[in-house]
Amino acid sequence: MTETLHNLYLGFSVALAPSVLLYAFVGCIVGTLVGVLPGIGPLAGISLLLPASFGLDATSAIVLLAGIYYGAMYGGSTTSILMRIPGEAASVMTCIDGYEMTRKGRAGPALAIAAIGSYIAGTVSVVGLMLLAPPLASFALRFGPPEYFALLLLGLLMLAYMSGGSMLKSLAMAALGLLLGMIGIDPMTGFFRFSYGLVELGDGIGVVPVAVGLFGLSEILLTAGQPTAPEVKKPKLKDLLPSKQEWRDSLWPIGRGTVLGFLIGIIPGSAHIISSFVSYAVERRFAKDPERFGHGAIEGVAGPESANNSATSGAFVPMLALGVPSGPIPAVMIAAMMVHGISPGPLLITQQPELFWGFIASMYVGNVVLLILNLPLVGIFVNVLRVPYPLLYPAILLFCVLGVYAVNGSAVDVGIMAATGALGYLLRKFDFETAPVVLGLILAPMIEMSLRQSLAMSSGSYAIFVNRPIASVMLLVAVVLLLFSLLPFLVKSIDWRQKLGIETAGGEKL
Amino acid sequence: MRLNKQNCCSLALLILVLAAVKVSGQKYPDRPITIVAPFPPGGVADLTARPVAAALEKVLKNPVVVVNKTGAAGAVGMSFVANSKPDGYNLLMALSSISIIPEADKLFDRKPAYTMDQLIPIALISADPTIFVVNASRPWKTVKEFVDDAKKRPGEISYSSSGVYGTLHMAMEMLIHGASIQLKHVPYSGAGPALTALLGGHVDTLASGPAVVIPHIKAGKIRPLAGWGAKRVASLPDVATFKELGYDIEFYIWAGLFAPRGTPSSVMKTIREAVKQAVNSTEFKTAMEKIETPIAYLDAPEFQTFWDKDAKMLADAIKRIGKIEIPEAK
Repeated sequence: MTETLHNLYLGFSVALAPSVLLYAFVGCIVGTLVGVLPGIGPLAGISLLLPASFGLDATSAIVLLAGIYYGAMYGGSTTSILMRIPGEAASVMTCIDGYEMTRKGRAGPALAIAAIGSYIAGTVSVVGLMLLAPPLASFALRFGPPEYFALLLLGLLMLAYMSGGSMLKSLAMAALGLLLGMIGIDPMTGFFRFSYGLVELGDGIGVVPVAVGLFGLSEILLTAGQPTAPEVKKPKLKDLLPSKQEWRDSLWPIGRGTVLGFLIGIIPGSAHIISSFVSYAVERRFAKDPERFGHGAIEGVAGPESANNSATSGAFVPMLALGVPSGPIPAVMIAAMMVHGISPGPLLITQQPELFWGFIASMYVGNVVLLILNLPLVGIFVNVLRVPYPLLYPAILLFCVLGVYAVNGSAVDVGIMAATGALGYLLRKFDFETAPVVLGLILAPMIEMSLRQSLAMSSGSYAIFVNRPIASVMLLVAVVLLLFSLLPFLVKSIDWRQKLGIETAGGEKL
Repeated sequence: MRLNKQNCCSLALLILVLAAVKVSGQKYPDRPITIVAPFPPGGVADLTARPVAAALEKVLKNPVVVVNKTGAAGAVGMSFVANSKPDGYNLLMALSSISIIPEADKLFDRKPAYTMDQLIPIALISADPTIFVVNASRPWKTVKEFVDDAKKRPGEISYSSSGVYGTLHMAMEMLIHGASIQLKHVPYSGAGPALTALLGGHVDTLASGPAVVIPHIKAGKIRPLAGWGAKRVASLPDVATFKELGYDIEFYIWAGLFAPRGTPSSVMKTIREAVKQAVNSTEFKTAMEKIETPIAYLDAPEFQTFWDKDAKMLADAIKRIGKIEIPEAK
């Protein structure tokens, strides 16, 4: 323990050096901007700034890039809450209850809780990263394709707890998402599937254009279709901060989101996105009155927003402890280290203590910076709602197109956004939820890859899922979960879903 | 033609335009040059392109910008340069996969994204032999032990790769063919995840670049058995090459600069001279040292010979692999 404290002292002496502090600050500001702009997420932000970091020293470069990463997680919630447009893919779940809170005039508390939840999750998960990185990293290595497949299947079953309306409809939407996820190169044979001669479709359909289309564009279209402009309650100054009740309701979701996010973050893949879905599902399951979800439940903002921030620290565990990337963002950061002549690997922590501990300390500092930066911004951001719709919505549309185009510089992505926007409009007219489509789209390629890799490992034998202990336990849990959600169909009286009633299918609720 | 005011203006404009065209034709470069890296920032193509661009900028006294045009395993960026105007302002930093994609397109009867004769080589920048590594907990200490074991149980020892028909898959296919063995292929989505799978013991072996595997060799997690180069890798002096061990296989992950075919020879000459100077500059050498990639400069004619040979080898490997059949699940 004394050694950790000593190391942390070393870290803070690095992180509080004026130049490093400056780059932590710049990273946080850029990250917040990247998060606020629809479409552009942390990966695009980091990629754009990677070349600029080549001129810095190694520690400043890593601190800058990490600041962008977790800064984007803070900023991503803003447009989700205010306009129902996911600032980046991990904020999709925040759109649902966050935007409903805005419609009820509670935009301020939603934004404040998102920032505070992110702060708590960010800080607590760095403690986890600091104390547990080496043992957790070796545990993460035990996750091979079969374990990963079992975990993803578990994630898919969470769907049953995610939906507010008809379960049949949300399962249909998940299936649509899974089907969309089949587009692109077959990972095992190299075949192009459903690409219709478009090279760009080889990589599949991107999550960002679909999320922005299904959530953002459809909302703009629906609003335009209303005979009179909807009245959004203009926020009053005293309504900016959460009430006592809202604080109480948020406390546990933030705690659970933090733990969930960190653990999911360690496992390779688009962890920060999945962590927010899982957290939402868990909060809904734990809630005494799940019918509030989808109608502005603050737990639906607090949980996912904490989870996606905590997942960023989790994602650094394999990167710092083993030098292996747990996703595309840590991969870019590993490249940044290599450019500075530091080879990331299992010996990084012992060979580069200034870098490792400076990085850890800078994350503590960065989270404080973000909180200071974001809380006053709440007051400014809610004023966006005072802009009349005829001016606000065309501007948002423009930002959506710019953001989605900027990610890959691809006009095909803009087309996909437009098409899914129209699709989202139709689906919501018919009371279908759109979140399961996004979840399906994210999960489909991962589930397919891990299933087929597992079968390649076992030469086609399904026994591999039973023979490996971690995988078999998770699959067992999945089966139990499935039975639980099927039970109500068999025994009507214990259907907790019945309490929600189908009367929620009132139109533009989701 | 009456020389009224309007005509005068048009004439003056025409002369101006012609003059501008003439000036720009005389002097290359007179505006920023773009080097397209067809992979995301942080990949080998990007990490090689950036120091090249920085050094070129000094030599040409003209801005050189790196643009990442990514998608479809590099096909998007490569076809972009292949189909761009051949004026020397759009160059391509490609990897070995430039020769794989058109062959794979042929295999699947697809309309090719580009063909190799749409591009001409400028210079080879680096060429890293892949290293054959095994998980440290596996028994094999030499290639001979490994091959003997693989012959005893065909199709049971596994390897990971960066993806089907990717460069790491190609390297292993050459070993499989050269040693007449059968291995089990588990493709991943990139070299990073492929290495993670080896470290976690989910696969037994992997072929990957020296910079990627050396830290883990030093940490004792994986063991190198041999390299694909003609010579041993400087930082791994104890690791023999397959050639030394009697296997006639050679494979490199290389990075080279290309221009669209039809680029005027005067422009090509300027670029080639500039690249030659650039790769010899100290700052370029330091930058490449940091990413642990040895420079393997070849000028256009030698690079063309190297490329032809490499492309033929890869084409043969793809034909041998053919379309991948997935065994029935049981």
